[in-house]
Amino acid sequence: MLLYRHGGSQRSASPQGIRAEDLTHPDAYFAAHDGLDQLIALLRRFAIRATFAVPAVIAQLRSERLRDLLADGHEIAGNGLKHEDVSSLSAVDEKKRLDLATDILTRATGQCPTGWFCLPRQEDPFAGGTISPNTMDLLINAGYEYMGNGLADDVPHYWVTDFATRRALLTLPYYYHFDDQWFLLFPRRGTGLEHADDLFRNWRAEFNAQYKRGRQFNMVLHPGMVGWAHRLQLLEDFLAHAHAFPGVWNPCSAECARYWKATYPPGEYLRLEPSIWRDHAGSLS
Amino acid sequence: MQGDARKMTSQLEQEIEDLCTVARRYDARYQRIPELTWPHGARIAVNFTADFDAMLLRRLLNEPPMQLAKGEFGGLVGIWRLIELFDSHGIKATVFAPGRICELYPQALRAVARSGHEIADHMWEHHVPKDPALERDHLLKTAAALEAFAGRRPVGTRSSHSLGLLRQEGFLYVSEDSADHRPYYVRDAAGAHPMLNLPFHYAIDDAMFYSFAWLGSGNAAQRITDPDRVFDLWWAAFWQQYRAGGYLNIVVHPFVSGRALRIEMMDRLITRMKTLPGVWFATCEDVARHCLAHYPVTEAE
Repeated sequence: MLLYRHGGSQRSASPQGIRAEDLTHPDAYFAAHDGLDQLIALLRRFAIRATFAVPAVIAQLRSERLRDLLADGHEIAGNGLKHEDVSSLSAVDEKKRLDLATDILTRATGQCPTGWFCLPRQEDPFAGGTISPNTMDLLINAGYEYMGNGLADDVPHYWVTDFATRRALLTLPYYYHFDDQWFLLFPRRGTGLEHADDLFRNWRAEFNAQYKRGRQFNMVLHPGMVGWAHRLQLLEDFLAHAHAFPGVWNPCSAECARYWKATYPPGEYLRLEPSIWRDHAGSLS
Repeated sequence: MQGDARKMTSQLEQEIEDLCTVARRYDARYQRIPELTWPHGARIAVNFTADFDAMLLRRLLNEPPMQLAKGEFGGLVGIWRLIELFDSHGIKATVFAPGRICELYPQALRAVARSGHEIADHMWEHHVPKDPALERDHLLKTAAALEAFAGRRPVGTRSSHSLGLLRQEGFLYVSEDSADHRPYYVRDAAGAHPMLNLPFHYAIDDAMFYSFAWLGSGNAAQRITDPDRVFDLWWAAFWQQYRAGGYLNIVVHPFVSGRALRIEMMDRLITRMKTLPGVWFATCEDVARHCLAHYPVTEAE
């Protein structure tokens, strides 16, 4: 079983990524200070290690905070240059951004990130995160070990980019029902309602069900959102609930990825069948 | 002036009469079965129906890669868990599958058939073409594709296929809309081709509660929620229909309800339903054949 958490520390962003107004807002200040402090303290209390998916701009801006996280044994992974939507970028442009983001994260932490996230933003039209047709290949070329948010399974799985050569990238599971940003004053402050209780019940129900199945639980937290009073209390209640179960393994994402690849290597476990999807007149091709 | 007023009044009267005419013609398309009772004294018939659109509908709607991945969960994981759930309760469900699902998840469909669940039509690729020749082509292709797995042609559909075409091709029922709590007959817009409908309500549909951006809904419209809340709502629906001696059609999607937390919720729901006597868990075909045999439509065409 895996329990990890990650989250950017900027205010909820739009597809174009973090803008000046996202960083010059009381919520942004809260996310990087009180909110993050509260979250770190709570994780420490339950001895939980998490993966923080950090946009490069945040890594450069808050490098002292990253050092706090590393000192606590948390992992730092990438999450875009500015957590932007890369889906319409050219491969050349996307590669430039990926390389620069990797450099910035490496400089800020003293170590090269092995994981990359393409997490969704609150203003995205879908809650799964965005990638381009080139993203997975670029990540493999850049030496990344895993992509952190896939939706096709609820355990790690291989995202195949080329059938003939079995070229694949390990993908860790994500599901929006365990991501705080869709429940807390969504879609933005002053609209929607507060559904922190629904979020808590989702965490608990999935944890219990996956524990019974011997699989995996993951959640996505944003320090600026979950770090507030009642939400923090519900998170604490959930962690106390999960903590009481015996035999729960809590690796960070990179450890989970390493374990998976060693235990279920693609050469042995990736059983691909040729596509039988055919062309029919008057149908999707 | 008075003449103008009279003229206006008679014009308004005509508008009212026209509206009533349209509505009466519409009402005449429906035939209810108020005296419906179930075999062996059962108090309620429950249909579990799984709409197996998985990534195909996401593809048809031209949604981005992570949405396709979300749909893939249905074919890779979710459908298998639903089969396991229904089998563990000895329940035969109905899987409404688009024809092209056969080209995407053949192993899953084989497993559905192996467990004895009904496989029914859910359009060729989740879309009914406007052109009658292409519509017929899609319906026949789907029937042939599903027959290859089920060993027999589908007799039901969840679609807006023309009722005339469906009758011509030997379909026994459709499962769409909610004009009545109980199965009822519906005729097409011309008042012809009566067809049995096994109703389902959008509030008893997992996607409405759990699927982000369902049916093109925008972000401000999202109210995604947790399984406990849905359990309470669906139990209330079941209990009300149980007391009324009625019918409940529970619609799930493998990529939605196949998630572990919701399989667990459905398990609790079924377990609780089974504590009551007289609950008939059936396939749609079973319910349809019962209705057709005992409550045939009055053919007044």
